[in-house]
Amino acid sequence: MSASEWFREDRLPHIYCTGCGNGTVINCTLAAVEEMGWKRDETVFVSGIGCSSRAPGYILTDSLHTTHGRALAFATGVKMARPEFNVVVFTGDGDLAAIGGNHFIHACRRNVDMTVVCMNNQIYGMTGGQGSPTTPPGAISTTTPYGASEPAFDLAELAVAAGANYVARWTSYHVKELTKAVTTGMQTPGLAFVEVRTQCPTNYGRHNKLRTVPAMIEHIRSHAMLVEKYNRLTAEGKPIPEGTFTVGELVRRSRPAMGVRR
Amino acid sequence: MKLVIDESRCKGCNLCVLVCPYGIFAEGTELNSRGIVSPVLDRPERCTNCRLQALYGRMLCGVCRMICPDQAIAWVEERPFEPHRVEVEF
Repeated sequence: MSASEWFREDRLPHIYCTGCGNGTVINCTLAAVEEMGWKRDETVFVSGIGCSSRAPGYILTDSLHTTHGRALAFATGVKMARPEFNVVVFTGDGDLAAIGGNHFIHACRRNVDMTVVCMNNQIYGMTGGQGSPTTPPGAISTTTPYGASEPAFDLAELAVAAGANYVARWTSYHVKELTKAVTTGMQTPGLAFVEVRTQCPTNYGRHNKLRTVPAMIEHIRSHAMLVEKYNRLTAEGKPIPEGTFTVGELVRRSRPAMGVRR
Repeated sequence: MKLVIDESRCKGCNLCVLVCPYGIFAEGTELNSRGIVSPVLDRPERCTNCRLQALYGRMLCGVCRMICPDQAIAWVEERPFEPHRVEVEF
């Protein structure tokens, strides 16, 4: 079976805008699921509300499209009721960090055995480009017309601090690394959190001089820095360029996990 | 194997043009029936996946298919006796 057989072919093409990174993330996640060899009736995709959360609608498994921000709460319930199921959560930055922030840190604290793929496009894309908790300072959105003045949320560091077993961050440009990271996260018992920086040319790039898809991808790619290099530069006391974010595997550990089959 | 772009799914984001290491995809110039400028293929027989996928029995490069947000890129088997060019690299 190949990854393309996991798609609901009759639902495609999907509703995402031209060049939206969410489709890439679905490809990578399904390639990882394929690599894991999971059965279709033992895999559950859970999502909340938002652009990213429409993803399970295009995947040919059982899925839950839940209330805004509560994807992790529903996923915890699925995992507790049926521990033999493999649970994957698709969520966005507004879904996970803004309204579902408390569910997120407590799912990390409980270390529930699931994989969380967060498509962080740094904006509320579906509702028209309002500023989200991860909008970088200075970025222009509908609700921050003079540039965002608040510091942005670092979701991966939050998951590390809250106690997730595996935390990684990649961008939608790094498809091979992202697939590998999602696969590792699925193999790890306990909560695996993979943050993916995706491009949103329609609602983020259009207001921030990154109108075309290649320009937006190039902006994301050039601001990504491997976590090893970041640590080396910090240890040497060298300056870190403005606006860079770390990519790579941030933590892998074995805290006691909840909902693991024995 | 041959490389095809599904015109009914492609939205013309040109991400494949950005990532292909062989430069097989090029930005198109003509609108198709859906009003979308989808990329055109420049000598697709150079693609490593087209030539060697059957021999190795696995996906070799496949970055364009992975990054395509619209799942429009695929490799299909040729029909029997379909004429095709063979590119020889030295």
